[in-house]
Amino acid sequence: MITIESARVRFASTEGGAPMVALADVSLTIARGEFLCILGPSGCGKTTLLKAMMGLVPLDSGQIRIGSHAVTGPGADRAMVFQNYALLPWADVTANIAFGLELRGASREECARQAAHWIKAVGLGGFEHHLPRQLSGGMQQRVGLARALAVEPEILLMDEPFGAVDAQTRRLLQEDLLDLMQRSGKTVVFVTHSMEEAVLLGDRVALMSPRPGRVREVIEVGLTRPRTASVEREPRFTELKEYLWERLRAMRDEAADA
Amino acid sequence: MPDGAGRARVAGLLRLGGWAGGELVAAVPLLAGLAVWELAGWMLGFRFLPPFSRVLATAVGMIAGGELMAPLGASLLSLAAGYLPAAGLGVTLGLLMGRSRGLEFVLSPYLNAFMATPRIALVPILYIVLGLNRAVQAVVVFLGAFFVIVWSTMRGVRSADRDHVEMARAFGATKRQVMWKILLPSALPLTLAGLRLGIGQAIRAMIAAEMFIAVFGLGALLRTYGGRFDAERLLAVLLVVVAVALVCALAAARLDRHLTAWSRTPR
Ligand SMILES: Nc1ncnc2c1ncn2[C@@H]1O[C@H](COP(=O)(O)OP(=O)(O)O)[C@@H](O)[C@H]1O
Ligand SMILES: [Mg+2]
Repeated sequence: MITIESARVRFASTEGGAPMVALADVSLTIARGEFLCILGPSGCGKTTLLKAMMGLVPLDSGQIRIGSHAVTGPGADRAMVFQNYALLPWADVTANIAFGLELRGASREECARQAAHWIKAVGLGGFEHHLPRQLSGGMQQRVGLARALAVEPEILLMDEPFGAVDAQTRRLLQEDLLDLMQRSGKTVVFVTHSMEEAVLLGDRVALMSPRPGRVREVIEVGLTRPRTASVEREPRFTELKEYLWERLRAMRDEAADA
Repeated sequence: MPDGAGRARVAGLLRLGGWAGGELVAAVPLLAGLAVWELAGWMLGFRFLPPFSRVLATAVGMIAGGELMAPLGASLLSLAAGYLPAAGLGVTLGLLMGRSRGLEFVLSPYLNAFMATPRIALVPILYIVLGLNRAVQAVVVFLGAFFVIVWSTMRGVRSADRDHVEMARAFGATKRQVMWKILLPSALPLTLAGLRLGIGQAIRAMIAAEMFIAVFGLGALLRTYGGRFDAERLLAVLLVVVAVALVCALAAARLDRHLTAWSRTPR
């Protein structure tokens, strides 16, 4: 279980003015095995919240706990998939996927074996020795996902992983992710700015609003699992999507009035 | 770009003709220049511009006759004795400065000052301090190559993508691992560029130091033949110097191409 208690993060502003409040008093509990989506307009602190859970961004006050341990830095129980993939341009697909294992001192054979397994799992067979720049965006993010899964984390933190790929690719990636995660029992925190994506993937959706970044509301999705993309035809799906859209629009109007 | 298109066409023609390899193509402009030299040598008949073929024959003769061997050996020795430590220490210091803002702040004024100082100006002082011996050549070579290597390596480390560092940290990388697995590979293209520039600087510094005192190496020979206005031999020695420089540059280019293919945009 992940417990976030009154998390606050401020960044010093570049012009030396008042510090920018990226997260103001965020509290959230995420159950073991849950798939939580974080939805909100850009700049509302989604990335900051995820990085705080990863232990990359320190809190100014409040606390984040995994089980009973407070997060003070990165740990083997968590892995992250990055918005811009963050693949190493000099390393081939195999070496990129094995990067986390290599850091943990896994042997060469172990790295190769694990990489081969995950290459197959994310559908990259035949691209073992390609460099990132030789891959499409969707394939690059498959590498990013495989790299995170290869270290066998209990918690997977994903930051708008499919934000930069075209619509068809995105759809395929979403289906493959559903397929990979539904049986895994892993806890997933998935940041997105797409309402469809949030409802399709999540058990719950946390809605965030900007300036200052806070969680406004947490919505129970309640669609049955295992899910496939066909849930998009269910009335509940459309209803939730409409609701989220209303809420996001209301937030935007608030911001415009302020 | 008409220039690039023209070069591509020449390359294409050569490939059609069954010639292999980019190095031959790269040699075309050089061969053209040599042809012009050859023609000018014959047509103008200046005493100070013997044709290339005569200079080449002289150089071959001097090598075969053994009179070039000792100076060439001395020069190559001081080149290696100065350049290799400059490369090792330069890359190390560059990595450290790239990682530590404090170290950069303290050392970069010295770095900039030394890069702007003509190293040749230090040669007399070095001969006085170290005496008339070959160590001076090595020191001058070292000074010629060191600073540009430090600077390029530092810039290379600074060019590392913050996102890559953050990613590595997320996967549990220690500071040491960030250094070896992120910063070092990121710095490689600029580091190798620095090592390449350093070789050219080192050779220039070496010749200058040898000419100054006219006791050791190819520079001493240059001074001797220059003093006698023996253009043929002077140019023959210069040809050997250029050949040494070209071999070094080609080796460095090979290494560069092999190690940093990932950093070049595909054409
Ligand atoms: N390292 C940083 N330094 C200063 N400001 C930052 C930094 N990272 C994020 N911010 C600011 O914090 C706010 C939230 O950013 P972020 O978490 O990236 O939002 P989101 O991911 O929802 O788009 C933004 O206004 C952003 O400009
Ligand atoms: Mg973001």
